[in-house]
Amino acid sequence: MNQPRNGMPGFSRRQLLKYSGIGVAAVAGSGFLAACGGDDGGGGSGGGPQKSGGTLIHGATGGGSKDTIDPHAPVTNPDIARVSNLFEPLLFWNSNYELEPALAESVESSPDGKTWTVTMRQGVTFHNGKTVTAEDAWFSLQRVADPKAPLSGGGQLSQILDFESTKVVDETTLQLVLKVPYAILDGLLAEYTVGIIPTDFDVANPVGTGAFAYKSFDPGQTSTFTRYADYWGDAAFVDELQIQDFADDSAKVNALQAGQIQTVDNLPYNLIDTIKGAGGGALVSETGAWIPFTMRVDVAPFSDVKVRQAMRLIVDRQQMIDQTLSGYGSLGNDLYAPFDPAYASDLPQREQDIDQAKSLLQQAGQEGLQVELFTGDDIGSVAPAAANLLVEQAKAAGVDVKVTKKTPFYDDNYLSYPFAQDFWNTRNYIPQAVVGTFPPDQGGTYNETHWDNEEHRNLVNQAAQELDEAKRADLLHQAQEIEYNEGGLIIWGFRKQVDGYGANVQGLEPSKYLPLGSYKFNKVSV
Amino acid sequence: MTDMELATLVPDPLEEVAPPRRQHGAAAWAVWLARRLGLALLTLWLVSVLVFLATAALGDPVRAILGRDYNSNPGRVAQLEAQLNADDSLVSRYFSWLGGLLSGDPGTSLANQRPVWEQISSSVVNSAVLVLLAAAVMIPLAFVVAMISVHYRRRRPDTVIQTILLAMAGLPEFVIGVLLIALFATTVFHVLPAVTISSPNGHPWDNPKAMVLPTLTLVLWVAPYVSRIVRASLLEVIDSDYVELARLKGIPEKVVMRKHALLNAIVPGIQVIALQLAFLAGGVVIVETLFAYPGIGRLLVDSVRNHDVPMVQALSMIIASVYVVVNLVADLLSILLTPRARTAISS
Repeated sequence: MNQPRNGMPGFSRRQLLKYSGIGVAAVAGSGFLAACGGDDGGGGSGGGPQKSGGTLIHGATGGGSKDTIDPHAPVTNPDIARVSNLFEPLLFWNSNYELEPALAESVESSPDGKTWTVTMRQGVTFHNGKTVTAEDAWFSLQRVADPKAPLSGGGQLSQILDFESTKVVDETTLQLVLKVPYAILDGLLAEYTVGIIPTDFDVANPVGTGAFAYKSFDPGQTSTFTRYADYWGDAAFVDELQIQDFADDSAKVNALQAGQIQTVDNLPYNLIDTIKGAGGGALVSETGAWIPFTMRVDVAPFSDVKVRQAMRLIVDRQQMIDQTLSGYGSLGNDLYAPFDPAYASDLPQREQDIDQAKSLLQQAGQEGLQVELFTGDDIGSVAPAAANLLVEQAKAAGVDVKVTKKTPFYDDNYLSYPFAQDFWNTRNYIPQAVVGTFPPDQGGTYNETHWDNEEHRNLVNQAAQELDEAKRADLLHQAQEIEYNEGGLIIWGFRKQVDGYGANVQGLEPSKYLPLGSYKFNKVSV
Repeated sequence: MTDMELATLVPDPLEEVAPPRRQHGAAAWAVWLARRLGLALLTLWLVSVLVFLATAALGDPVRAILGRDYNSNPGRVAQLEAQLNADDSLVSRYFSWLGGLLSGDPGTSLANQRPVWEQISSSVVNSAVLVLLAAAVMIPLAFVVAMISVHYRRRRPDTVIQTILLAMAGLPEFVIGVLLIALFATTVFHVLPAVTISSPNGHPWDNPKAMVLPTLTLVLWVAPYVSRIVRASLLEVIDSDYVELARLKGIPEKVVMRKHALLNAIVPGIQVIALQLAFLAGGVVIVETLFAYPGIGRLLVDSVRNHDVPMVQALSMIIASVYVVVNLVADLLSILLTPRARTAISS
């Protein structure tokens, strides 16, 4: 018999044998060699003024031949890093996930929420020297929100923009007209997928307004950029930026340790100490990214609200965070959009309550409940680990959860699993509620729980048209209360973003929006 | 070296068979070659059927490519289905793919809509350079180690070498790679790069230092095996009657080793080197991933991940062709170097 092993929950023998697992474990094990190799020293990113010059090489996770440099259709991590440095939207989400002016000085709505006036920042130039005008802004929005073929950043814009009535008033003023009132249009204009490009844009030689100008792009491998000296904001410290794809986590971390690259996104939790040991550091940021359990509210047993409530009480949220995220997470309260100003933070934090769960199951006539939970590696590595942990937690309440791992998970049955998981990134409440809880014909393309609650929907739609922030917050609070009490999502936590940087790298600050301080490499010195 | 010289050096049991007439011999060789080439082509054709069926049997590629977005993006579904000719029958899709392959056009990548060949060609060159570089270091190294071992046979140096080789032969390539990285790049010494950082539009060997660790990993992975086989066959040859006879004739030991023993031990060596080279063509996948080396292995992993069917098919065919060609060349070389087999064919 084998000795019982502890400390590796949800880690199957097969996973251990997988190459990546061994690779990472071996890299972690090389920390053992470090002990023999003596102290390498390293400056860390302490104080002192930031130096100018040099080349910053960023190791981006993933990427491949799918990579694109299209400003409006980024897919992979390296794509997002590229568009964030080449192009800029009209507004920014700042590192606290609040709106901030960028290429627009202001974006203001008429009292009815149907006409929005965009005033462009003066004196901003593209990398080719041309001045940015309202004409360019409208060209960019039309490209991203083309109703026939909207690009990834323009799905929602394409449905609400009135292309006939919108007009460019003068060089610096664009008047956007909407088909329906929409109070949070400014949020849509701040996404990294809605970068402003010149009217003569050519994707073979992409020109933007960002702190770095395009030099070369080789999909799946590397791309290079040079410092844009005439940048309207803080010009970059480094002369050149290179973004290198890494398909493999251990290669990425080895390169960082060897000093070949200066930053990496998505540092594996188990390698944080290795990087710190080599003189680098880990940048930990809060995010609103979540990996929920999804219960279909229209089929048994979850059609009974008591069963849903019981399942939500069964989950030990802190244990989920500790074991599946190595502690790098914050508690969830079955509500998404934690950075939304209207987030219902006053609702009591739900905690594990086995007695209450048992009693709810009894009332529902579902003692000894058996359910099948669908999961898969393509949701992300956290999902199968969380599913296995739920099996253990549910046992205490006498619920028998059987995990079925699907390969792939995102197949024909996605969106019809009675009980499954999914992943979501940071968004505010209204856009998330629309895609995740509305019926498909009203925009709910990813409604996993088949939630169909007219009262909730009306509140969200009303809020989307309400310009008064206090009133909007009130409507959204009511909507969140309904989901908090009856919804089909178990949101146990929000993942923290952990990125790595090498010795002597300065200027990185955590951001709630995107990894590595929203990829604002102009602030980084090496 | 002519036949006559070899025949005097290496007494052959079939020596009494009269040397064939020239014309007849050439024709026999042509027939043999044609047959082998035909078999190789047949193998490749069978592989193409298997590759096509395997990639077709993986289920709906469009769904696999779009994953979670399948339901919300009907436009892209239609576009991909059109590109894959999903409406055609399996047979007609196979023949249009095979036709494209034979005319040098393996199709268009599903992931980025660029021609497959344009993306593969530089990776093929990069991987070939890596494998050939490894072979160029590995072959002489394996032979030298084997000869040293044989020289000291059954004495302490031989035992030590054999123990080390045996231990190394048991290590998988990624363990060797990870240990080398920790030793030379990240943890103990910081003298070599840990990964290949591609310079835009350049080659990985533009920075020769970055080639050291991937090459060394492949060499250390394959050399022990080759060296042990060569040692075994050298020992067998050395104990044979004709080497004994050469020694008795008073030929110096060095010459005996070089001309009589090594030449005859080279044939099993060639077979095992060929096997290892063919093996490297596929096994380079993991080493390329570990060192972020931009070769076919990394491209294959990426394409499989993207469910990029045309890319996977083209890359599988390239790797299969390397297997077939390398084995063909090895067979040819072995026969040319084995008088017995050579005369058997031409007679």
